Amino acid sequence: MTVARQENSARHENEAMHGSSIVDATGAAPRMPMRGRFRTRLSNLAIDGLLAIFSLAMIMPLVLLVANALKTPAEMLAWPPTVVPDAPTLANFCAVLGDTPLLRWIANSLLFAVLSTIAIVATSSIAGYILGKFRYRTLSVVFVIILATAIVPFEVYMIPLYFQVQKLGLLNSTAGLLVGYLVMSFGIFLIRQNVIHSIPDELLEAARIDGAGELWIFFRIVLPLLRGALGALAVLAFFQAWTAFAWPLIVATSKDAYTIEVGLALFQTGYTVDLGRLSAASALVLIPSVALFVVLRKNFVEGIAATGLKE
Amino acid sequence: MIKRRRFLFAIAALLPVLAIYAWVRVMPIAEILRLSLHRWDIISKNKPFIGLDNFRELLGDDLFLTALTNTAIIAFGVLAITIPLSLAIAGLIHHRTRSRFAGVWETAIFIPHVVSLVPAAMAWKWIFDAKLGPLNALLANVGIAPRAWLFDPVWSIVCIIVLCSWQALGYAVLIYLVGFKNLPKSLYEAAELDGASGLQRFRFLSVPMLKPITLYVSVVTLVSGFNVYAQAFVLASDSQGAPGRQVRVLVLDMLENAFRNYRVGYAASEAVVLLCIVLILTLIQFSLLRERRRS
Amino acid sequence: MIRYRSLVQSVRNFTDASPDASRLASPVSRLAVGVAGVLALGASTVNAEELKVWSGYPELAPFYERVAEGLSDKYPDLDIVVEAIPLREHEKRVALGLSSGSAGAVVVELPKSTASRYLENDLLTPAPEDVVAAVEDSGNYGEFFVDAASFGDTLYGVPLFRGQGALFYNTAMFEEAGLDGPPETMAEFTEYADKLTQRDADGNPTVSGWSLRLSGGGQGIAEKFWINMFQYGSNLMEEAGDGQWRATIDNDAGRAAFAQYLDNVHVKKNVTVEMPADAEAFERGQTAMFIRESWVIGDIAAKAPDLEYATAPLPVGSIALPANLFLSAEGDVARAAWDYALASNEAEHLVWMLDNVGWLPNRGDVDYSSVLDVTPALGAFVDYPEGYEFFTLPAIGPIEEILTRVAATLTDAFANADLAGNDSGIDETLAGLEADVNKILDREGLLAE
Repeated sequence: MTVARQENSARHENEAMHGSSIVDATGAAPRMPMRGRFRTRLSNLAIDGLLAIFSLAMIMPLVLLVANALKTPAEMLAWPPTVVPDAPTLANFCAVLGDTPLLRWIANSLLFAVLSTIAIVATSSIAGYILGKFRYRTLSVVFVIILATAIVPFEVYMIPLYFQVQKLGLLNSTAGLLVGYLVMSFGIFLIRQNVIHSIPDELLEAARIDGAGELWIFFRIVLPLLRGALGALAVLAFFQAWTAFAWPLIVATSKDAYTIEVGLALFQTGYTVDLGRLSAASALVLIPSVALFVVLRKNFVEGIAATGLKE
Repeated sequence: MIKRRRFLFAIAALLPVLAIYAWVRVMPIAEILRLSLHRWDIISKNKPFIGLDNFRELLGDDLFLTALTNTAIIAFGVLAITIPLSLAIAGLIHHRTRSRFAGVWETAIFIPHVVSLVPAAMAWKWIFDAKLGPLNALLANVGIAPRAWLFDPVWSIVCIIVLCSWQALGYAVLIYLVGFKNLPKSLYEAAELDGASGLQRFRFLSVPMLKPITLYVSVVTLVSGFNVYAQAFVLASDSQGAPGRQVRVLVLDMLENAFRNYRVGYAASEAVVLLCIVLILTLIQFSLLRERRRS
Repeated sequence: MIRYRSLVQSVRNFTDASPDASRLASPVSRLAVGVAGVLALGASTVNAEELKVWSGYPELAPFYERVAEGLSDKYPDLDIVVEAIPLREHEKRVALGLSSGSAGAVVVELPKSTASRYLENDLLTPAPEDVVAAVEDSGNYGEFFVDAASFGDTLYGVPLFRGQGALFYNTAMFEEAGLDGPPETMAEFTEYADKLTQRDADGNPTVSGWSLRLSGGGQGIAEKFWINMFQYGSNLMEEAGDGQWRATIDNDAGRAAFAQYLDNVHVKKNVTVEMPADAEAFERGQTAMFIRESWVIGDIAAKAPDLEYATAPLPVGSIALPANLFLSAEGDVARAAWDYALASNEAEHLVWMLDNVGWLPNRGDVDYSSVLDVTPALGAFVDYPEGYEFFTLPAIGPIEEILTRVAATLTDAFANADLAGNDSGIDETLAGLEADVNKILDREGLLAE
């Protein structure tokens, strides 16, 4: 007992000397004297302040972009640059929507991203399930190959893939874009991990004994159990396709077929660059991205947490 | 019998996926390896085998070596910034995980990662702009003379590193947060009882226990650093007359050789070099993890 | 002990398993081919009634569409699609379209330097007799232009327009600086630049006296440098035998041109790398003069109609880059394509092009005076002095690569303040450039002995 009390007072002294908060991982604050509680709150406040400043700094560039989009051409050239536009105008947005096929590009990107997500979720779920639950020698070789090729960055093999697409006459089409984004090695891996961790073999055996067919098992038992992971995968796949740059740049070369990334980047290769319009176009593209993420965030985080990153 | 049926089902269900995989992954990878040993200018029908000539030429090619150096600097620069910073930020957020703002910080920090690359790069291009950008305005307040950041051979690379780190941070923080959430609380309580301060708990418990995550994030960040292209393309634009100094990166050099100089075999050899670098780095990092685990 | 399951654990699990002989290759690739086949069936097939027109200059799209409209009476069922995209992308799509044969019937606008690789590989259609007659009739096109559309003795294309450089200068700024005419020697260029540059309190230039091409990707820098070298009496490379070339950069002309760049940028500080440059700067009054092609005239009319400016020929001569209409087509549509090419050279279309777009038509026997009266700035391009010399880009395969590499080296060199006034440094740079170019020529078997 004496030892504990000594340890306790040692701890208090520690606090007093280091001024550390002893809020632990769960955030629960054990009983402590007023002085300690005050220090805790102070340090919490300090940390909150730091995080607030940092978060603000992180989104500041995007805020500035939107601000720029609302500025008149004259104000764009003003120095020093203003954060809040003096006379906000929607003229840039109108110009950009009217003169450039921006909406067309967004539609292209959207179609491409949606189709890619479907393809990736489908292929990953099937492959992940089979590789996870059907442990045969041949299949483990297959998995190793998939893992090995997962390390290879897309940029490395995109040139031969490009010629493949060209041979099929699929350049400048969504199908052509899709060819590069039909499967995701990490997706297969993710699902496989999930399958191993969250679907007990006994469950499947029980279903089989009851006479269920393999397909039924897959669609009625496995998929529902994988919902979280599939959700996360879908988000990952969608954003991967939405933000793809190098591949669409070489595959979609006619103005109508640009994806939004490529269209914006090539916006500035005319002989002159109109910053206001560029910002407006960029802002228009940003907003759905941010909105989508805010909506889907829970899904994404839960999915990542549910993978084999934990015990 | 049942076993046989199950095996057949497995193969049958897997086959379409495997077929696609072979077509869009395995074959192109094999093809790039093959092309690197040939010479092909897209237009002519024949592709003569030239052995390792492409690689020999690469070694003496100034533009390639510049691209390689630049890319390496960018990749490692991003790594150096992202890992410590994201670990610290994740630690702080996790510490305040009960606060109602935790979700806000997470979202704000992760948003740069999900917004499209190009608009984000445009935003930063304006920030760095010599005449109109707020960076120079801010620095002017502190008394530092305005500079043309995007024109300077050294600073333009720093700008790209800043942009890439800004984008990579969110993902790293998120992964670390998940890691933090899964750390065993019992150990922390024990350490607390022993008198360890928050900072000490962080340094001696969190950091080592998060090593596997650190290695995963390192691999991902480094590999994507070596593939940097969009950011260099936008910040250091390629266009006629548009102000900017082009920072050569590997992917840019490779695409230029393939589609502007019509030397596909040569570009393929660059791709193979990129592949080797990525493989080596990944292997190093995995072996580091393996050693740690044995100890 | 805390166990941390991770990616690595799974890898170790499976690398421990002994590998079986993998027989994935055969069935997988067959399936892949099957899938590809299905996709190919779904891919669009080329419409026999469609003719595409490919151009590398988006500002010419209206011109091409006009010509197409003019043809609609004769070919009511023919769908002529004009696709004018930026030059780099255009070159790429031509390379890929023509080599794979997937382009269909297409009229392609190309300079001879880019077209040579296709001509060598038989990917473009030779001209039929009536086209040959129309083009080779000496009243229509000078020999220079006919040559630019031929390969050996065979005519493959129809000349259309050319890019040609001249000096653009801001007359208001010239007046203010007390200068009553354009510079007529290269030395005067620097002198005038000194007087025209406007500076702020710290002595930094705010308006550049002479806007030089110092940055920006592609090969533009190399081309502009070549133009300056040409004024000093040398080309960047010379043909030294039948189809054999050699770089000629490390000579007096090269040194003079290079030194002039460095002088203006680092010593006199008349222009800097980060200042706004090119047509945009000229239109905004941020530079007093610069050398560029005739399309700028149309650009100024659109974006800065009140700008007071004039044009003048260069001291010795200029670059002339003729662009021609080649085509790849078969059957009936080929006839329509040739008619299109000929139609594009009808007087009214050419005059329209000169008036509205600003590129210079190559056809000689057309009366352009109506346009010149309205836009006297075109005079410097069309009415050049006696003895004015022209050079063009060599029609060899690796020309883009050569120019791109030269441009990359020059970008770094121009930004290097240590080279100003440093004769040995300048020599070294130029020698390096020459070696680089010769190395590429050698690699392609084009280096003269």
